[in-house]
Amino acid sequence: MADNLHWQLFAVFAPLSLLSVGGGQSVIPGIEAEVVGIHGWITQQQFVEFFAISRAAPGPGSLLSTLIGWKVDGLSGAVIATLSFFLPSSLIAYAASLAWSRHHDSAWHAAIERGLAPIATGLILSGAFTVLRSSSGSASVWIIAALAALTFSLLPRLNPLPVLLAAGLAQVAVRLLL
Amino acid sequence: MNETDAGTAEPAQPPPTAGEPVSLVQIMLLFARIGITSFGGGLSAWMYREVVDRRRWLAEDAFLSGLTLGQILPGANVVNLSVYIGQRLRGGLGSVVAVTSLLLPPMIAVVVLGAVLQHFGDLPWLHDLLEGIAAGAIGLTFSVGLRAARHATSRNRWAPALVLGVFALVGLLRWPMIPVVLAVAPIGVAIAWKKR
Repeated sequence: MADNLHWQLFAVFAPLSLLSVGGGQSVIPGIEAEVVGIHGWITQQQFVEFFAISRAAPGPGSLLSTLIGWKVDGLSGAVIATLSFFLPSSLIAYAASLAWSRHHDSAWHAAIERGLAPIATGLILSGAFTVLRSSSGSASVWIIAALAALTFSLLPRLNPLPVLLAAGLAQVAVRLLL
Repeated sequence: MNETDAGTAEPAQPPPTAGEPVSLVQIMLLFARIGITSFGGGLSAWMYREVVDRRRWLAEDAFLSGLTLGQILPGANVVNLSVYIGQRLRGGLGSVVAVTSLLLPPMIAVVVLGAVLQHFGDLPWLHDLLEGIAAGAIGLTFSVGLRAARHATSRNRWAPALVLGVFALVGLLRWPMIPVVLAVAPIGVAIAWKKR
């Protein structure tokens, strides 16, 4: 029975790993369709909760796969779901960076790296904005994000953790007081 | 990787690839720390600060091209970026160590957090705390984006147009990222090639 479950977890997450072009978020609807709809491992409500937890917890948001695997079959389920979701795409990423860094002394390699820098920058800013827009949308979230951006810009070498903790406490205080 | 750092604000930085090679233990310690402390997301920003700004393991261009690569390919962006950073620093073993160290501690954290929330039900203050932390992480990501934008602008006057163009299309208009990158990347590379 457990072997069968492990196999099912693999069969759900490994293909989604290869389809997650553009990042783990892009297959969230696919994960939901599989684990809630087709397999019925968790309820819709639990899926929303797991999604929120994986977003807020440390680490990449795709650790949603860990939570689902853990719910399905405990520790071994968590490990298998995580490996199934991260290993296939990581192998592709490894092959790509190997091919890419093999030529790092050539002039065209330097030109490509330099030419991609502004594009990566636009993507970083877009990512931050997208997450901001998908948050609860309360004014305090925007203000805290802006203050944090200002702090980190003025003090680029500051350890981010105390600032993030202060940001969290600020939001708690705002909700208590307003 | 030679004069590319001339425009940054910090004085006299050593070339990123010079000096002692980065050890696997150093990679493990850094990625485990980023993995466990990066509440609220924004891991690329954490990595940029640690790998480019503070430790100078990679030049900014090398980091950002790896980030672009990781965004286009399938897989979680930060995991792909970790594969890339590990590979650049220490080859295949570097990738394995970076990704394992990045994922293992937060895997434990996410399961513990899940168990706590299931046991105690919905805790409003915890929800607010996590939301505030996520807002702070957004600010961190913005500051890294602004810093990278300033750096790119100092070398190339066309850079702001490219940064703003990508931000407008992907961030504001929500166009699909990959076609936008594939369309804009040749323009950026052509400009960089001419300015060689």
